[in-house]
Amino acid sequence: MKNSTFSEKMKKVDASRHIECFIAEQSLVGTAIGAACRDRTVPFVSTFACFLTRAFDQIRMGAISQTNVNFVGSHCGVSIGEDGPSQMGLEDLAMFRSIPGSTVFYPGDAVSTERAIELAANTKGVTFTRVNRPNTAVLYQNNHQFAVGKAIVLRKSDKDKVVLIGAGVTLHEALSAADQLAKGGIGARVIDPFTVKPLDAETIIQNLREVGGRAVVVEDHYPAGGLGEAVCAAVSLEKGIIVKHLAVPTIPRSGPPAVLLDMYGISAKHVVAAAQEILKL
Amino acid sequence: MSSYHKLEAKTVQELKDIANKIRIHSITSTQAAKSGHPTSCSSIAEILSVLFFNTMRYKVSSPRDPSNDRFVLSKGHAAPALYAAWAEAGLFPTTDLQNLRKIDSDLEGHPTPRLNFIDVGTGSLGQGLSIAGGMSFVGKYYDKASYRVYCLVGDGESAEGSIWESVHFASHYKLDNLVTIFDVNRLGQSEETSLGHDVETYRKRLEAFGMNAIVVDGHDVEELAKVRAKLKHLRRRNRNTL
Repeated sequence: MKNSTFSEKMKKVDASRHIECFIAEQSLVGTAIGAACRDRTVPFVSTFACFLTRAFDQIRMGAISQTNVNFVGSHCGVSIGEDGPSQMGLEDLAMFRSIPGSTVFYPGDAVSTERAIELAANTKGVTFTRVNRPNTAVLYQNNHQFAVGKAIVLRKSDKDKVVLIGAGVTLHEALSAADQLAKGGIGARVIDPFTVKPLDAETIIQNLREVGGRAVVVEDHYPAGGLGEAVCAAVSLEKGIIVKHLAVPTIPRSGPPAVLLDMYGISAKHVVAAAQEILKL
Repeated sequence: MSSYHKLEAKTVQELKDIANKIRIHSITSTQAAKSGHPTSCSSIAEILSVLFFNTMRYKVSSPRDPSNDRFVLSKGHAAPALYAAWAEAGLFPTTDLQNLRKIDSDLEGHPTPRLNFIDVGTGSLGQGLSIAGGMSFVGKYYDKASYRVYCLVGDGESAEGSIWESVHFASHYKLDNLVTIFDVNRLGQSEETSLGHDVETYRKRLEAFGMNAIVVDGHDVEELAKVRAKLKHLRRRNRNTL
């Protein structure tokens, strides 16, 4: 699937640094763990996010092996569209968050993805970078400094009443929702977590305090174990904070990406409605 | 085959003695721990004796040296035998083996890299060979080094599909620096394996996947040592081996 993940572009740059492992994900992950041994190489494993779940046992054992393998899961979430639920990674964040010592990147544009990969290569332990299928707008200047565990506040004003947190495609939905809320006179602060693990709890809590304790988290993932639960866990000991969590609630179906984002309640329209709802609480 | 020199009687006896020491350590250490898999250890005693004291090239003083041959025990539950082999090689005192599975000992129930002579954790069966394949690929195509990778696979775990994914990978990339050893002891945890002692079927399956398969008596140190010479011969044919 290197023509779907575009890892074939790497092959064109330098074929000697590309190992084709064919349709055998367990062997793929094991091969990478072996290649990383005794610090001989810095391996990246590339396939659809959903198919990495097939090798969860190997990934789990990789943590026990103190491996430094980096995983990149593409085609995540309902936003892949017409290929349907069998191809959608909707459990991958839960899986990789559960690995001890792991780092989970969820970049929101091309610039942050490039920096995430650079950081992953230099991060000890298992890393996972979740990438989208749809083309998304570039949000960052090329010289923006990214760091593991450092969130970015993308939209901010003194009059903000709510924090919107999204990642990948839903970061763009959150930005769109902020635009729509602004038209209705509601200021919304938008945060890009950049890494889901470690999550920048300090930035999130500080911004939540500044707006009065209301947040909407939106993710293209099942509700269990993803960005929403990471945020809820981070604020669980904080007084006066309310988090509304939007995620894909059921087994999705094939369809155009924008229609699916709307059908499963994670489009800008739903973020706006959720923000208005919690402001009444 | 011309490169094979028959082992001297003294060497044969030494390898047999070490195998029996590995067997005894495996039994006494699992007895002290009151748990473990001494029979699965005994099954590989001669294999480990020949590998560690005749075949493999490595520095005992530097178990993770980049130029060392690698050894992956895919059937990780036989860890006590592997610990015994390293102790007999002189890495640590054999008296430490009696601390197997204790809370303050890194000689855990299954191997982990908490130990300086273990590259990867094993024990979740069917995974060691793909890791050994990755090591071999790096050794052959990136490091371009002469180290070999030895992987010991249990017959029970060869029911895992991932073993055959890995055999396919090794064969496709002509990993002639990878030596896969199937320990056909017939027995799984609770009953016979599906193939029992049918080594012919194992041989045919591995050959069908492109491996050079050699069937030997795994308790005969001379037969095992002869394989080493055959490996040198096969390597020239640019094919991986069993």
